[in-house]
Amino acid sequence: MKFLLNPNSFQNITNLLFKPILIVSLVLLILGLIFSFYLSPNDYQQGSTVRIMYIHVPSAWMSLMTYMIMVIYSIVALAFRIPFGFIINTAVAPIGAVFTLICIITGSLWGKPMWGTWWVWDARLTSVAILFIIYLIIIFINNSFENRAVREKIVAIFILIGSVNLPIIKFSVDWWNTLHQPASISKLSKPNIDPSMMTPLIIMTLALMLVGISIAILRINTEITNRKNSL
Amino acid sequence: MFIFLKKIFYFFYREFKVNISGFHDILTNITFFFISIFIFIFSIGPQDKILSVMGVSILWTLLLLSSTLSLTKFYRDDFDTGNLIILHLNGFSFEFIAILKTISHFIYVQVPFIISIPIACVLINIPMEKVYSLLISFAIGSFILSCLGSISSSMNLLNKRNYLLGSVIVMILSIPVIIFSVGIINTEENFISLINVLFGILLIIFAINPWATGACLKIALQNN
Repeated sequence: MKFLLNPNSFQNITNLLFKPILIVSLVLLILGLIFSFYLSPNDYQQGSTVRIMYIHVPSAWMSLMTYMIMVIYSIVALAFRIPFGFIINTAVAPIGAVFTLICIITGSLWGKPMWGTWWVWDARLTSVAILFIIYLIIIFINNSFENRAVREKIVAIFILIGSVNLPIIKFSVDWWNTLHQPASISKLSKPNIDPSMMTPLIIMTLALMLVGISIAILRINTEITNRKNSL
Repeated sequence: MFIFLKKIFYFFYREFKVNISGFHDILTNITFFFISIFIFIFSIGPQDKILSVMGVSILWTLLLLSSTLSLTKFYRDDFDTGNLIILHLNGFSFEFIAILKTISHFIYVQVPFIISIPIACVLINIPMEKVYSLLISFAIGSFILSCLGSISSSMNLLNKRNYLLGSVIVMILSIPVIIFSVGIINTEENFISLINVLFGILLIIFAINPWATGACLKIALQNN
């Protein structure tokens, strides 16, 4: 697992793995889209709009997972003085922002036919919007300092302060009465979702995860090369 | 021990002199606050019913906006003139400097707002019972705002391009403060419990503040 902490071995391994990951992610994406648009059944109440779920839910998970990765790497980078964490923070933040934006847009497209409004000031929706603004602030901080050594530490500190939002997003549907439904799928209990809908959801989750990973590999390698050239 | 207390006393004495000589800055903040109240009333229209319902939330929003205006000056002057280094050489750690500066910011920037709240409440027709709870909630909430301002302004010491970033960081972090402090004023039954929640937020942020600010100040002084 050395490649998760060392730029050189990361570059060596990802040069080998990048093309397989890209091919697998494209195949899974096409397969998942076919499954979710043609092979999965309509919902008995929501009709065909339930198919928005196959993009909405995986992108929401991916936005939380990206932030979690950034939190872990900024702790590692600040506490153990491993600069690879700063590289990942810089490279990964726009990907998380895009996933959050996809989640918000598909959610409001789903909310219009089902709830009757594009947007409700609901606990889950508001906290996800705050997550999007936090991603934007991270990108702004990345672009507004001239000194790189200052910028990356301040980004890491801000990521740690902003991580207060993550448990609020996760438990907002349990703590408050929200219009957004609580989670259907959890690790501890049997999922209350039919296998015919579960399959495309899992395939789309894997596909979006691999797409995110392949974009992240490209961005991280670019960042490593930039830093090596500027030395 | 006595010398240490003397140093703290002279720190506050110097802050007093600096703030008195720049008193027009504080007056400009408060003028901004009152002018924005006037503009709000012009845009809503002077109906008493709407104003007495929305008044407290308008006041809190404007207080937040106008107290984040002067945040760029929080550490900037001391940083540019080198006073931070002198304080550090005198035996104050950066974390302790952060606590002292936060308290002096609370005294010299936020307390004038607390004094001007009753006058603003008269303008917006807020009933007298709500004014007391507004004062209590702003006294706690403004200290939280000072702590957040200390964190964000020390983050942006070396930021020469994007001046608004500090205010944006404070406003995104102050959302729970706004939620609970407006909730205090609008409910009568849960008063004590909501005050406790707000006080808990104050203690958490007051504990985080010196470490985050000290780290940022160290980074800024090392790389200047």
